[in-house]
Amino acid sequence: MAAKKKNFETQLKRLQTIVESLENGELALEKSVALYKEGMTLSKECRAQLENARNEIRLFTEEGEVPFEEETTAAENAE
Amino acid sequence: MSQIFTVRELTDALKKTLEGAFPFVWVRGQVSNLSRPASGHMYFSLKDADAVLNCVWFKGNQRGDERFDPLTGEVFEDGPRPSLARTLQNGTEIMCAGRLNVYPPRGSYQLVVELAQDVGLGKLFMEFEELKKKLTAKGFFESMRKRKLPYHPQKVAVITAPSGAAIQDFLRISGTRGWGTQIRIYPALVQGDLAAGQLVAQMDRVNTEGWADVIVLIRGGGSIEDLWAFNDETLAERIFGSKIPVIAGVGHEVDTTIADMTADVRAATPSHAAQLLWPERSMLMQSLDELEIRLTRRIEQQLGAKEHGLSTLERGLGWLSPEQRLKRLDEQFLGLTDRLDRALGHTFETAERTVNYSEDRIRRAFGEDAVNYQLQKVQSLKDRLQWAGDGMLTKAERTLDRAAIMLESLDPQKPLERGYSLVQKSDGTFIRSVDDVSKGEQLNVMVADGSVGVQVETTTKNRS
Repeated sequence: MAAKKKNFETQLKRLQTIVESLENGELALEKSVALYKEGMTLSKECRAQLENARNEIRLFTEEGEVPFEEETTAAENAE
Repeated sequence: MSQIFTVRELTDALKKTLEGAFPFVWVRGQVSNLSRPASGHMYFSLKDADAVLNCVWFKGNQRGDERFDPLTGEVFEDGPRPSLARTLQNGTEIMCAGRLNVYPPRGSYQLVVELAQDVGLGKLFMEFEELKKKLTAKGFFESMRKRKLPYHPQKVAVITAPSGAAIQDFLRISGTRGWGTQIRIYPALVQGDLAAGQLVAQMDRVNTEGWADVIVLIRGGGSIEDLWAFNDETLAERIFGSKIPVIAGVGHEVDTTIADMTADVRAATPSHAAQLLWPERSMLMQSLDELEIRLTRRIEQQLGAKEHGLSTLERGLGWLSPEQRLKRLDEQFLGLTDRLDRALGHTFETAERTVNYSEDRIRRAFGEDAVNYQLQKVQSLKDRLQWAGDGMLTKAERTLDRAAIMLESLDPQKPLERGYSLVQKSDGTFIRSVDDVSKGEQLNVMVADGSVGVQVETTTKNRS
């Protein structure tokens, strides 16, 4: 999961690099198309990652680590 | 006894001395004998174990509900505080500021209160200021030493009360941000006597574990006493000494605690802390969109340009293709044929006309009529020729006859026969004049039947 997250940043950077190199230089058509394809794939992947992004929240108590339930907390608050 | 005062004189002197010596004083004590007459002024005594001071708090000096601390200028987050003038009770320990005043009619002195404050708050404020001064000297708040937060931290340690509003706010905001993060909550009391110790313990734990990219220290809003744990000196030291960058968001925007000031980054509120940690997901999405648009636009531009170039070349190539060339030749041929047809047609017509015309002329010239005409003409000419020939012969015969006659008459022999003679010189020339001959000259005289040789004896010339 950590690797995947790291991926997002790398992928985003790579995407930026691709866009910039496409915009800055007159590349050969094959090269451009290849970059475009790569860019679109990256963009799609990044999008999917954003759409599925969830924070993993855990509570670290003396007894150990437990998933943190916001509902439980809300209930506790109510009490 | 150098002087005997009247009561009035002494009182005036005391007043002068007292009011001059204590123009403005702070006095601390416990309230007693509190009375609130209808005038709105308040009368009470301040006392401690050994003494009593009468006080008057005129209506004009009493404030309404207070929105901010009159001493520090800090706004009260949890709403305006009811004026102390209203809440004041016997037994409350307060601090009063005002002038000393002698009241001659009753022979007493009193404090004219201008400002009154609950002593507890004042004490906290003093402590806060002292600690702040001390830690400033230690360089705790130096902006130079403060670290930047890692970009999009993936391991976040949150030290707070798991049941508080702060963590709810923080998690709510962080849920819409970033691209996925591990958040660990390290529970600690954030209020009360035990709070500071627990906060310190969790700071130590997180630092020992070394797992987190960043430490988040948050607590919701509250009164200055509620937030007091975050003004703890030990906690400040732990924050200062933390190996991991610390972001603190304690209370509301106006609340500033020592922990806030010591942290590497100060967030105004717990929600703000989450905002500072991660970029908004929709913004990330937007920047993705933007990149994608740029990518597509660029490739479309390039493809468009190539396509244009290609189609230009294709047109050029098409123009040069054998098929096109044949087509063009065909067209050319057709054109020429057409022209030829037209030209030939024209020529034929002209020729035909010429032929017709010529035929006509020929017919006229050599046609039957013309032939007849010519034949007639020939006949007529023949007739005329015949006729002329005949005539000419007759005429010639006659002329010939006449000529023969004339010729006969011209014969020199003839006159000789009639007696005439011809005289010739020896050289043959005939003599026509006297002058032609000289005396003695031999002449030949021709007569009809021969000649006679004679010599000239005399010459006589006829008179003319």
